Amino acid sequence: MKKFLFVMINLLLAFGAQAKLNIVVTTPDLASIAKAVGGEQVEITTLARPTEDPHFVDAKPSFVVKLNKADALIEGGAELEAGWLPPLLAGARNPKIQSGQPGRIQCNEGVHMLEVPSQLTRAEGDIHPLGNPHYVVDPVNARIIAEHLVVAFAKLEPGAAETFRTNGKLFTDELDAKLTEWSAKLAPFKGAKLVSYHKSWPYFAERFGLELDLFLEPKPGIPPSPAHLAAVIAKMKEQHAKVIIVDPYLNRKTAETVARSTGAVVLDVSQFPGGVKGTEGGYVALVDYLVNSLAKALANKN
Amino acid sequence: MAWTRPPILMAEIFSVMKWPLIACLLLPGILVYYGLHIIKREVIFVDLALAQVATLGTCFCMFQGHEPDDPHNYFWSLGFTLGGALLFTFTRSHKRARVPQEALIGIIYVVAAAAGILLLSKSPHGKEELQRTLVGDLLTVTPFEIGKTAALYAVIGIVHFVFRKQFIKLSFDHDHAAESGLKVHFWDFLFYALFGLIVTSFVQVGGVLMVFSYLIVPAACGTFLANSLLHRLVIGWLVATLASVGGLYCSFRFDLPTGAAIVCVLGAALLLAAVGKSFQKLASSKA
Repeated sequence: MKKFLFVMINLLLAFGAQAKLNIVVTTPDLASIAKAVGGEQVEITTLARPTEDPHFVDAKPSFVVKLNKADALIEGGAELEAGWLPPLLAGARNPKIQSGQPGRIQCNEGVHMLEVPSQLTRAEGDIHPLGNPHYVVDPVNARIIAEHLVVAFAKLEPGAAETFRTNGKLFTDELDAKLTEWSAKLAPFKGAKLVSYHKSWPYFAERFGLELDLFLEPKPGIPPSPAHLAAVIAKMKEQHAKVIIVDPYLNRKTAETVARSTGAVVLDVSQFPGGVKGTEGGYVALVDYLVNSLAKALANKN
Repeated sequence: MAWTRPPILMAEIFSVMKWPLIACLLLPGILVYYGLHIIKREVIFVDLALAQVATLGTCFCMFQGHEPDDPHNYFWSLGFTLGGALLFTFTRSHKRARVPQEALIGIIYVVAAAAGILLLSKSPHGKEELQRTLVGDLLTVTPFEIGKTAALYAVIGIVHFVFRKQFIKLSFDHDHAAESGLKVHFWDFLFYALFGLIVTSFVQVGGVLMVFSYLIVPAACGTFLANSLLHRLVIGWLVATLASVGGLYCSFRFDLPTGAAIVCVLGAALLLAAVGKSFQKLASSKA
């Protein structure tokens, strides 16, 4: 009898384990939202590390295996991963996650994309035809993504639809509450000038009323040239821009050099939970960090 | 139930690593053969230089605004490589040369690399693309790429087989090659031009580091352990095959970037060959 029970429990456990949706996510920011919505019902694997440049991710054999076994693939949908994901998908040969399938979830659906180019030319730098792909860092967009995931997960696992809805509601409620707090914290700095290395922060800046039109890169993806940096330094002095934000995978030295000649401060930021210390907790912890450290840097420098 | 795991694992490995494995078994054969020539000619870094010149062609193509995977790319890098082959043909040093050819090869390498950086400074994410050419995309190689490259290598192999006398004389007995009435410059150019083709195509599949390793390491092992060209070639092929399989297995088992894993296993193979050689020496000195 004992043995029988043991077998039954094992069977149940195995069944439970199988019922979990096996989900691969391209970047850690989307992964953290997917985790919040999916909860215990999903098993999440993230491909890009939080400190890695999401434009360039090193392909490893395990990626192909994970994609091959995935029930769903969550991606940004705005070609941020265009450089490395397509060949992996071809190698994975998984019909469930091909374009157009319910298992292929594109998070930018319903998101208002910024900087959609009117014409495409490489002369303008690394331009994404669907608009700037760094949209997740705006909490309002995170809310749209969460709601989208609730629907997408329910399609894949109708039995758990109610759980996804509850989880999603919890997450969006927390976001709503937090957004009021974040907006209040950054309200005193409305119109403050920021400088960033790459054009990856327009969504965040627009949400919180910060001004961001100076970039250390002359064009997206093109390394800073001396003449361009000199122009940036001159403009920073003119506009009294005092904070330079840099993602972990970009060249911090360039930012430090510019900061030295302008009296600005370099602030480490990341779009991905875990990209800088203290943001490991997930999406909300990440935006908490961004808002708090920015508010502190702006307060000190003004 | 640990013993049930390996079969599943093997099937899994095969499903992911099938094409890289086929590429690694099919393509390095000719590289090993060329490696024997290159080692004998003592122009070890000529392939790095040629690969860099080929990459410079890619950079030039990107500078003109083409995407890195544009078909133009191949022809540009080929054109640049042939230019490089011409340079190496006429810089082959004689014993009395003041500046050894090795120095010129080094100079071509660094100038091509620096010129590439200049061109890519105006191209979006050019530096990262350049980085990619270094380790290649072996893991995601397509059957079409393999077929294309294998066909090209077969043709080159046939040319080398038909004219083996001339090529072997040129590499292994260069001092007497001209005396015996061989058109040295013509055959040297052909040698480097074909070599350029091989390097350019393999760089697209496996990257610069892998080309160099497949070229030099198995040939070095063969030269270490045997005297005749045929024996060296057989040993080289054996080393290349074993290291490919080992490297691919390690890449899968420990989840490492594929190209770099193979390069390191090849390095370990050379170490083994050297140890084997010293044992061999020890045994023969005792006897």
